[in-house]
Amino acid sequence: MKCKKCGGKAVINMPQHNMGLCKDDFLQWLPEQMQKHIKKQKMFTPEEKILVAVSGGKDSLALWDMLNILGYQADGLYIALGIDEGISYSSESQRLTEKFANARGLNLHVVNMTADYGIDLPTLAKETRRGRDKPCSSCGLVKRHEMNRIARDFGYDVLATGHNLDDEAATLFSNTLQWNGDYLIRQHPVLAERDGLARKVKPLFRFYEKEMAAYTLLRGIEYIYDECPFAEGSTSTQYKELLNQLEHEHPGTKIHFFTKFLSAKKKGLFAEPTTKIVPELHICPKCGQPTSAHEICTFCRMMDRVNQ
Amino acid sequence: MNIFIDCTARNGKIASMKKTSTIILRDKKYDVKAGSTIRAALLKLEILPESVICIRDGELLTEDNMLKEGETIKLVSVISGG
Repeated sequence: MKCKKCGGKAVINMPQHNMGLCKDDFLQWLPEQMQKHIKKQKMFTPEEKILVAVSGGKDSLALWDMLNILGYQADGLYIALGIDEGISYSSESQRLTEKFANARGLNLHVVNMTADYGIDLPTLAKETRRGRDKPCSSCGLVKRHEMNRIARDFGYDVLATGHNLDDEAATLFSNTLQWNGDYLIRQHPVLAERDGLARKVKPLFRFYEKEMAAYTLLRGIEYIYDECPFAEGSTSTQYKELLNQLEHEHPGTKIHFFTKFLSAKKKGLFAEPTTKIVPELHICPKCGQPTSAHEICTFCRMMDRVNQ
Repeated sequence: MNIFIDCTARNGKIASMKKTSTIILRDKKYDVKAGSTIRAALLKLEILPESVICIRDGELLTEDNMLKEGETIKLVSVISGG
């Protein structure tokens, strides 16, 4: 296959764009596309300070790399959850994240659950009995709380996550299967700042997972290849596989599914709810973060339960 | 003149003359027929090309490349869950 731009040997085929690209053109095209959609979606400006949530995986490291290349002021945040499960998952992903940051002279914040809160995530989930056998619901809660806390405490304008198009399409698929109206209304690559919640953006929302894997390989970025041990067999993975089957038969299915959803929303396909879906927020008296709970926030309630 | 090649191994079975390549995904190794495209080999193994990237000697390559005899293609799964 030939590169559509220079006619050289392509290293990646992107049937959804009817295009193959060589290494140099792909490494130029991807950040350019990201920049285009950062502007189009009004995610942030070069003057704003960005906090990138970094997990040590391919997507978040690639995102941080591209923001750095494009000249944005982007610092990283790594949350050490204390997941071991026989493969030293958290310590290895932290090592790779720190290695990436040090090699480029980038600023990295590290939150350590065990050091900062006296408990690791799997123990926290077990003791508070959140979720069934897996700590995924506690993990989401901890991450959302800590990402917002660091963004607020250090004065960041925006919080960026490495969700790619496959992540977004799988979430949309899940929300559609369940006709989860309030999630469908909120799903967007840009969530505006409100009531103490930092603006959240997903600059990779148009890139396939395959493109992100190719980017990290071509840029020589070392990332944690092992999946989170608790994510094995997850529903989102099953949805991604299903969507890839459709993509295989009909290239472009994933990107059309998500981008046409965004267009439909913009055109008013989803009517404004008659009752208020977005709950009112107030300040948690304990941690000072916004919460929809009536008294202290869910995070503080969970931590109180383990500290009793 | 007829030339006969003795393909009989010591155990009496006919030795395989098939030309193969190797595909590796995580800790699994697959022997596949050389001479077809990587894409055809992946589909035969029921691996969707959309879910992997293919690497030969550290270089990324598209699935329309032909598999050469004796070479090894490493696949990297691109799906991350959670």
